[in-house]
Amino acid sequence: MTNNTVELYSTKPQQGRIGKQYVDGVNHFFPSAIIDEEWQTENQVTITVKMTALVEVMKWLYYDQGGWLAVTFGNDERSLNGHFAVYHSLSMEGEVKSWVTVKVLVDADSQEFVSVTPTIPAAVWGEREVRDMYGLHPVGLPDERRLVLPDDWPEDLHPLRKDAMDYRQRPQPTSETETYQFDNQLGNDSNRIVPVGPLHITSDEPGHFRLFVDGEDIVDADYRMFYVHRGMEKLAETRMGYQEVAQLTDRVCGICGFTHSVGYSNTIENALSVDVPFRAKMIRTVLLEVERLHSHLLNIGLSSHFVGFDSGFMQFFRVREKTMELAELLTGARKTYGMNLIGGVRRDFLKDQRLKGIALVREVRKTFSELVDVLLATPNIESRIAGVGILAKDIARDFSPVGPLIRASGFKRDARIVHGQSLESYGDVPFELQSMENGDVQSRVMVRIGEVFDSLNIVEYGLDHLPAGAILTEGFDYVPNKFALGFTEAPRGENVHWSMTGDNQKLFRWRCRAATYANWPTLRYMLRGNTVADAPLIIGSLDPCYSCTDRVTIVDTKKKRSKTIPYKAIEQYSINRKHSPFKL
Amino acid sequence: MFKLLKTVIKTGEATKKYPFAPLEVCEDFRGKPELDAEQCLSCGACTRACPANALIMETDVKTGTRRWELSMARCIYCGRCEEVCPTKAITLSQNFELAVTRKEDLYEEAVFSLADCCQCGRPFVARKLLEYVLDTLAQSGVTGEQLKLRRQQLETCPECRRSNNMLDSENISHLRYLEEEL
Repeated sequence: MTNNTVELYSTKPQQGRIGKQYVDGVNHFFPSAIIDEEWQTENQVTITVKMTALVEVMKWLYYDQGGWLAVTFGNDERSLNGHFAVYHSLSMEGEVKSWVTVKVLVDADSQEFVSVTPTIPAAVWGEREVRDMYGLHPVGLPDERRLVLPDDWPEDLHPLRKDAMDYRQRPQPTSETETYQFDNQLGNDSNRIVPVGPLHITSDEPGHFRLFVDGEDIVDADYRMFYVHRGMEKLAETRMGYQEVAQLTDRVCGICGFTHSVGYSNTIENALSVDVPFRAKMIRTVLLEVERLHSHLLNIGLSSHFVGFDSGFMQFFRVREKTMELAELLTGARKTYGMNLIGGVRRDFLKDQRLKGIALVREVRKTFSELVDVLLATPNIESRIAGVGILAKDIARDFSPVGPLIRASGFKRDARIVHGQSLESYGDVPFELQSMENGDVQSRVMVRIGEVFDSLNIVEYGLDHLPAGAILTEGFDYVPNKFALGFTEAPRGENVHWSMTGDNQKLFRWRCRAATYANWPTLRYMLRGNTVADAPLIIGSLDPCYSCTDRVTIVDTKKKRSKTIPYKAIEQYSINRKHSPFKL
Repeated sequence: MFKLLKTVIKTGEATKKYPFAPLEVCEDFRGKPELDAEQCLSCGACTRACPANALIMETDVKTGTRRWELSMARCIYCGRCEEVCPTKAITLSQNFELAVTRKEDLYEEAVFSLADCCQCGRPFVARKLLEYVLDTLAQSGVTGEQLKLRRQQLETCPECRRSNNMLDSENISHLRYLEEEL
């Protein structure tokens, strides 16, 4: 890295258009499908296509050109161009790595758009959310149920429409009962139902799971989230300024908030072509990895816990505490680092902090390697995690999951490598992409273990090779209605943000897609064919955050009896696999 | 198994005695914001920067005071207030033990007196801020008649200044450029 003051700022080649061939390809195979083409950065393009060509264009980009669907979202652009809009952002990971966003304009009167879900299943949650939030009807979407809005929400009120409602208002509930239909795709009515929730076992948000079981085996599973939808997107659009939203995004997740904050800051920096100083980029990179350290150590600890290896769990948490200290040392807080501003970071790393930080990293590396040896030498670990909760490759390809989940299924997807050149300082730090072939819980644990060592190396390298210079770019102007994507590789996978600036010093639209949002739809396929005792382990291997307040109710549909079991009991069953609490 | 036991014995005690013994935090830990009211000009920069609306500033015209209030129920310890303060009146302390048993104890306030408008007599600006600006001007070499004129300007509230400019008053000279020639 450079210590030369001349090279303080990165330069963006103006003529570089990475991913131009994707646009050319669409023009070649689907003549006159593209209405408009707009470049946000050198590797981000948004093409507006005709509705009639949407499915074909998406299919070509996704399956033929190695695209992965990162995020699907709507936007109320009636005040800009008289239409609603639906965006599908694709991370192109074929030969050329870039971002292509496919946009369709939706007529403000008919309010219908063509669903791509039948062709690309990954779009299912995004399109259901567009229907809830904007009231646009996805024609052909097989799943007619609500996703985000609760059952008692009025039929015709769509919160993210610009003319819908104030963010402080709540409509009168329209229903007393839950009307959501859980969907058993493989089994029939003879299956027993094991509902888990409404506060879920290992999820960062309360969720309601239905396991359809035949004896001990899971036939199918369905689930419902968004019980604690906080309306952050609406809040950011209506109440907060650009800099304040950077603090709000820090609070999207209690574990990996900093990656959201970086992702959001990147959207505005990309949209307005703000050059972030090298030093700020490296500081962000180091902190992103510090966050990965504590998150992965938490998950590896929990994996030990789920298989009954509780002393391992405690040892990993002892090491994790050191990484929390590292965060406190570098940012002033154990969590919610609050470091980002648009254009850089607020706080520098001083020499003393860097020295102490490197010492801490070395200590963690030493203890962690010892513990990994212990973990892998523990006899019953392998029998519990190998071959369990397999995510098949074809399912993974269809649903675009992210993070250790997809890397454990043999796909080399990691935003830090794939898009490393346009993601903070990841192009300059030494590390390798960790991937495994088996797709089971064991592979995910091994991927995480490998990534912990990578993160330790990156943190040490970053603290040692911190470039000199400024940490914040100031004095740029906000231009209305500019938009771009921002992305980071969070511990759980890629977080994708998209923002459009407004004309009132506020965001016109901010879309935040957390990693787990992309991973949930695949969970059903991972649970199928496994036993109930493995369910917490499988759900845990997805690395959702933990909520200990949930309970499980068993309903025997034949005998019409039910019994409520505290979460502790199902957890104990997962650990011991004896004295099943599910026998009525 | 043997390895694990060895690790456990080697580690010894990993936990701390907190809350029975004090817990050390890092030097730059972001804890509770503390206001040095002596130093504060009540300019309101912190209330503008606060992302969580934990800081508010209210002007009471009747009593001629301006009240600064911090709600610890809303504070997110980001430190934006510390960063934007022009006089370094706010610093984030290392105090993180902030639980209270009464809701009122979550609030902290400081009251500043306001200077009255020399024309209409309504309070409109913090006295300290006004004096600070005038002192700065004096320091930068504005003296005598000039300073007096500036004081008169600055002690006039925005409404009065506006009406002065609109209406024919002593502030307006119609012969700005040729006065001396005549």
